[in-house]
Amino acid sequence: MSRSQPIPSCSVGIGLRSRHVSEIAATRPELGFLEVHAENYMAGTPALDRLRELRREYPVSLHGVALSLGSAEELDRGHLSRFKALIERIEPMLVSEHLAWSAVGGAYLNDLLPLPYTEASLDLFCRHVEEAQEALGRRLLIENPSSYLRYRESPIPEAEFITEVACRTGCGILCDVNNIYVSAWNFGFDPFDYLKALPIAAIGEIHLAGHHAAEDVDILIDHHGSRVAQPVWELHAAALRRFGPVPTLIEWDTDLPALGVLLDEAHHAEKLANADRRADAA
Amino acid sequence: MPKSWPMPTDVPMLLELQMRLRRAILRGDTAEIVAAILGDGLDPAARVGIYRNHAFATLGNALRGTFPVVCRLVDKRFFAYAAHEYLREHPPHSRCLVEYGADFADFLAQFAPCEQLPYLADVARFEWALNIAATVREETPLQAERLAAIPPAEAAYVALRLQPSLSYFESPWPIDAIWQANQQDEVPTIDLASGGASLQILRAGETVAWRRLDPGSFAFRTALADGLVLVAAMSAATVKDPAFELTASLRQVFAEGLAVAFCISPKQETSR
Repeated sequence: MSRSQPIPSCSVGIGLRSRHVSEIAATRPELGFLEVHAENYMAGTPALDRLRELRREYPVSLHGVALSLGSAEELDRGHLSRFKALIERIEPMLVSEHLAWSAVGGAYLNDLLPLPYTEASLDLFCRHVEEAQEALGRRLLIENPSSYLRYRESPIPEAEFITEVACRTGCGILCDVNNIYVSAWNFGFDPFDYLKALPIAAIGEIHLAGHHAAEDVDILIDHHGSRVAQPVWELHAAALRRFGPVPTLIEWDTDLPALGVLLDEAHHAEKLANADRRADAA
Repeated sequence: MPKSWPMPTDVPMLLELQMRLRRAILRGDTAEIVAAILGDGLDPAARVGIYRNHAFATLGNALRGTFPVVCRLVDKRFFAYAAHEYLREHPPHSRCLVEYGADFADFLAQFAPCEQLPYLADVARFEWALNIAATVREETPLQAERLAAIPPAEAAYVALRLQPSLSYFESPWPIDAIWQANQQDEVPTIDLASGGASLQILRAGETVAWRRLDPGSFAFRTALADGLVLVAAMSAATVKDPAFELTASLRQVFAEGLAVAFCISPKQETSR
């Protein structure tokens, strides 16, 4: 595949971690794109220079983890400006954030904390997505989170909530298939029903990652530290059937393996996408 | 059955809910939040604990990444404890974790369990300076010839702007030797009585470079970094080193590419 050609929408990418940068630069493996956590490149560290070098070889997706669109206070304008400056430098193919909050009262808690899914938080979240899209000059994809708690007063199902956000703001949805599986396990809903509730046209990317079981309690934790589990691949196959070809990312952030393991997972995702396309053509 | 949390029909209620979850995560105080959370077969406090553990683990890792030698000096378990105590009171403000830990050194200086290691806070200050220098981009150095056109009468009142990544660091302990020794698998013995260190720290391409300065150069460059004009910086240097030689020292500042701009200050400013 020549890199000057347009990127096929079924392209598979991997999360770029600093330990793999030199090897990727040296070996240039065939990948649809690289995705990075935007916050890791907002300070002018040498890492930013290396990302810009890789950007000449690969499309890059910027995945924000700290904009805190769900905070019940004003968005952090300073952070938005830094995000915009990074977008201008990297010219990413996708920009994404989360259906979550992570900062309040001046403290950044470095976690994707759940929102109660109410009309009030829907209004607030949509306002923040619109503000962010305007400030960044880009359409955002919003990712469904993995959840470990539900609020007592949270009447809107998550899939309905995120669909309404996409409807009202024009943002896309980053469908994290592993997160759906993890939350479905933790709260006892059917992950396939969740997929069916999402609007096909809004899906702009899929995330796949590993999870593990918590000690002592029957809870799955989305830890991005292992291979994608078999039931998640099965859910992903259903997602492909429903959404068609969508850029798909293999995320791996903790207990990082050799680059070859990530490429192997990416290859598997590509085989599934190709099989799905052949099935469509038949 | 706990009383249910009122429906957050407006933003102040959501804000209050978020402040309660914040307190539960940072302080471990879940009493205010549990009534708002469904058990789903588990103690709601245990559900909050999953988020709390994640926040502390990842923020603790960020601190360990910024202060690796401090961590080595006190061992991982103690570092995790110190980081935990620090986090409770000093959560990050910046969303970029490389910028987290500005006052960790001050915290360690006051942290009673560390008082057996009087140099520890200065090691943290040094590691913070290295960390911050790496986040600042280099600017094009000013060529010394640019100063040639300044009339001799005004030359004494030139103030230089130095590389933004540059910082100066002084400690009564041999911090550089401690830091260097802890880059090795087998840490050699450090003579803590060998005297202090006056260091210059600077981003240099992909890395951050640091080196020791003699007392005169340290005083001169620190004064320049503070914005003092040449004549005032020279006075500061001469106090530390009566044999301080301005021309050679200034030439060295330019040779190292430290200056990026200059201005000529009105004479009255030199008296400060």
